[in-house]
Amino acid sequence: MTLLKVENLKKSFKDVNAVNDITFQVNKGEIFGLLGPNGAGKSTTISIISTLLNPTKGKVFYRGEDIFKNPKAIQEKMGVVPQEIALYPTLKGYENLKFWGNLYGLKGNNLKKRIDEVADIVGLKDKLKTKVENYSGGMKRRLNIAAALLHEPEILIMDEPTVGIDPQSRNHILDTVLELNKKGMTIIYTSHYMEEVELLCTRISIMDKGQVIALGTKDELVNIIKGHKKIELTFDNIPPNLLDKLKIIEEVEEVDSKDNIIILTMKNGDMAFKDILDKVMGTESSILSIDIKKPSLEAVFLHLTGRALRD
Amino acid sequence: MRILSMIIKDLKVILSDKKALGTILLMPVILTSILSAALQGNFGGEDFTRTVDIAIVKEYDKEKDKEKLKDTMRDMSNMVDLEMDIENMLDDNLDMEKIFFDEFLGNEDIKKFIDYKLTDREKAISLLKDGEVDSIVILPDNFLYDMNVNFLTTYRNEIDIKVVGDPDKSISTQIIESIMMGFTENLSSMIIGKNVFIEKALEEGGSFDVFNNLDTVIENISEELEESRVVVKNITIEGKKPISSFGYYSIAMTTMFILFSAGLGGRALLEEKDNTTYQRMIVSGTSKADIIAGKFFTIFSLALIQITTMITFSTFVLGVDWGNIINVVAISLLACFAVSGLGILISSLTFKSGNYKMANVFETVIIQGMALVGGSFFPVEIMPSFVQKLSLLSVNGLALKSFHKVMMGYEFKLIWKYLLSLFGIGVLCIAITLYVLKERGRVKNA
Repeated sequence: MTLLKVENLKKSFKDVNAVNDITFQVNKGEIFGLLGPNGAGKSTTISIISTLLNPTKGKVFYRGEDIFKNPKAIQEKMGVVPQEIALYPTLKGYENLKFWGNLYGLKGNNLKKRIDEVADIVGLKDKLKTKVENYSGGMKRRLNIAAALLHEPEILIMDEPTVGIDPQSRNHILDTVLELNKKGMTIIYTSHYMEEVELLCTRISIMDKGQVIALGTKDELVNIIKGHKKIELTFDNIPPNLLDKLKIIEEVEEVDSKDNIIILTMKNGDMAFKDILDKVMGTESSILSIDIKKPSLEAVFLHLTGRALRD
Repeated sequence: MRILSMIIKDLKVILSDKKALGTILLMPVILTSILSAALQGNFGGEDFTRTVDIAIVKEYDKEKDKEKLKDTMRDMSNMVDLEMDIENMLDDNLDMEKIFFDEFLGNEDIKKFIDYKLTDREKAISLLKDGEVDSIVILPDNFLYDMNVNFLTTYRNEIDIKVVGDPDKSISTQIIESIMMGFTENLSSMIIGKNVFIEKALEEGGSFDVFNNLDTVIENISEELEESRVVVKNITIEGKKPISSFGYYSIAMTTMFILFSAGLGGRALLEEKDNTTYQRMIVSGTSKADIIAGKFFTIFSLALIQITTMITFSTFVLGVDWGNIINVVAISLLACFAVSGLGILISSLTFKSGNYKMANVFETVIIQGMALVGGSFFPVEIMPSFVQKLSLLSVNGLALKSFHKVMMGYEFKLIWKYLLSLFGIGVLCIAITLYVLKERGRVKNA
């Protein structure tokens, strides 16, 4: 079931097209990833969906309702975890959650119960009496998430929620995201960390320069470069003429070397192992290892744009 | 509910900031204590360089006094051709009215200080209450008669020249008193000299050999001076109390420091945006109007806390009597309203500009300017007249004026104009704020 539908969305700031005619939909119960480098247009897209920005063109529908005609349609059902820590540092964790809960119309025992629950989810139950300014970066990020969960949103939008935190807090947040999704929450997750998106997301939209350059499940995206798997051969010494011998194998598209490693880029899914091993065995050098690299989203992005994700 | 939550949250945030707390609550208490104590002795300063406006009330009847004097003189024995002499004297050298108004008040030196108008008692009181004159000089019934009797005979009739002053303008009143005193002392000296001279002449058997005993004459003059028969009485307006330095600075600091609440509020909206809490509020479904209302009432509450703190402190620690409690509450609420309007106006302009320049200018220039022209540093009466008019455009100036009046015992009907102005300023600021933010559209976040 389609929960959110983005149609031909465009947002321009003066002469810059931050988002340029993008279309995608988010299904109920999935974790939808927006992957792209900084400046790709992810945050602008999120801001429009969150009703913070009006688009220059295009529409966004939530459960079939135009969110710009009726912002409440999505606001009440949506939790937003902004990239920045949108909290009051001089207030205690509890006071922050109480305030945000109040804004979502929660009060009394129900509010207390929800504060307990979300604090438990993000692992901050025993830190609520501490002022936020005394939290670590990871704790602040977790409280930032907790504040978005108070009203039990149907859809959670997370904008780079793990930026600048320690691995332990990062893992905690990723586990939390999976746990929330397991309970039925639909999540839109933006990140420029390819590993996070690979780990979490059911479907992924890769964005670059304001456009969606690829969209699908991880497998679907990887299939774009299915024939471009890589094999790394490590030698004690690279034998002379081996590079030339490998190049004549039909399935090999490209041969490269670095130090004692030969990197083969294959044309298709067929590994052509027999042919490769035949060429290697005919040399006097010892082969130390053979590493078959699975295609990643990083490789997909590189393939599609000619640039690495973190460029 | 949302607005209330925002107010509580904002107050918690502000009150958790020790620096802000010091500025808005502790500073006015400290400054009031220091300034009140330091200026206690010479407090009440008004402008000595400007002209003092007075109303003169003639309660005597010139013709009646003249006739009465003639009768008196006629009754006195051994005077020849009395009627003719008295008529000549009164029309010529001893026309006391002419002496008082033309020679005394018309003197070039006196004219530099005093500008007078003749009127009746009722009108004079009304002018004094409206602040159009600083004092009233009442020349009593029989004034001319008594003056002439004192001059022409050995009788000494007491003449009470009353100076009715505005306690708000105690220095002006003192100036008038001093000048009147100078006039009457001169007259007294002349009268005494004349009396001593006549008495001595009589003692000497009517001869003019008294100059041989000049030392005795002077001694007698000194004794007579102590029994001067022309006196000036200072009276304040009925029911009105003068303000002490403690009272003045309690009001002055309160009305100045509530402007800092507006200053704090002026930064609030942009700070929320910079912290992205503004955006979070918007996506939670909180309307811009709710957010602005929240900021408005936060500033209102903060200013009210300041005023309450200052009134409590000054009442119980400094012993200041603020006057009618209902009027004080009314002024406090309207001053808070105006300050809150000002605060959200600054806030909206700061928000729109996207930097803190506007808020900084307000805190460093506008607040200080308002404090100066509003009378928070010095009584506004010592300022040039255009500054005095400007003070009525400043929130603190209007609040200060209103609190003063109530502290002195004035009734509501004499402060409602100031309160209406405070209300008007608040409404105007809110209207401009709404216009400014309406122009803005949605918030840019990416």
